[in-house]
Amino acid sequence: MEVLLDLLSWIALALGGFFYAVGGIGIVRMPDVFTRMHAASVSETLGTGLLVLGMVLQAGFTLVAAKLLIIFFMLMIVAPVSSHALARAALHEGRLPLLVNAKNWLVETDPVSLFPELETRLRQPLSSEQVAGETDPQEGTLPARPTGGYAYALEGDGAPSDDGEAPR
Amino acid sequence: MMFVAGIAGVLVGLACAVYRASAGPTPFDRLLAANAIGTSSILLLALFGFVTGRPEFLDIGITYALLNMIAVLAVLKFFRYGALGHVQDPEQDRDPE
Repeated sequence: MEVLLDLLSWIALALGGFFYAVGGIGIVRMPDVFTRMHAASVSETLGTGLLVLGMVLQAGFTLVAAKLLIIFFMLMIVAPVSSHALARAALHEGRLPLLVNAKNWLVETDPVSLFPELETRLRQPLSSEQVAGETDPQEGTLPARPTGGYAYALEGDGAPSDDGEAPR
Repeated sequence: MMFVAGIAGVLVGLACAVYRASAGPTPFDRLLAANAIGTSSILLLALFGFVTGRPEFLDIGITYALLNMIAVLAVLKFFRYGALGHVQDPEQDRDPE
């Protein structure tokens, strides 16, 4: 039984190290932010999972294994959240992903041209901005003025040189 | 010791992430590489603790995982808004002065 556990943990550790190195090579060689995120997710899921599995098999039913599982679940929560926020920030800043066109070339493609329903999502402000705009209704019962001020603030944000006094 | 093989793999990934963080053309590349560096530092701490027979390094790893999450979200908020604090309406800003 000991030998079997040792063998399994060695296989998991070696495979975890291999996948981690593969993810690192992908981070260096991929051409784009979004494809680099795809490569980094390999090392963040398979590499981390297999390395932690190997260490847990070595530790057995101890407090060390519990701490390792805590670290693993924390990383599994952090990785999707951070990559989602990263991709969303990159898209909102105007980075376009490289996609294959009809001639099999990699070109920068606006995702809205492929999926028109993305237009309403990408052009809308983020939810935190809406929360900042919605702090107005508690002080008054005017429904028209907060929405008007909100749209005005958004236009001022998009073109700051139009009214020089509004942003500051 | 198979832990050394895991450490070697993590070190290769760490070196690639450091290269991308120093040479990345956009800030998002650098942030992605910083996130990868944080994850690999946590794994390096855990593996090094197993190699030296002192698994108490895992506590430091838990702390690093928490710091990693907060750091990534803070930097992304900075990219989005240009500030780390609460974003206020310009009209509300003008009132106290």
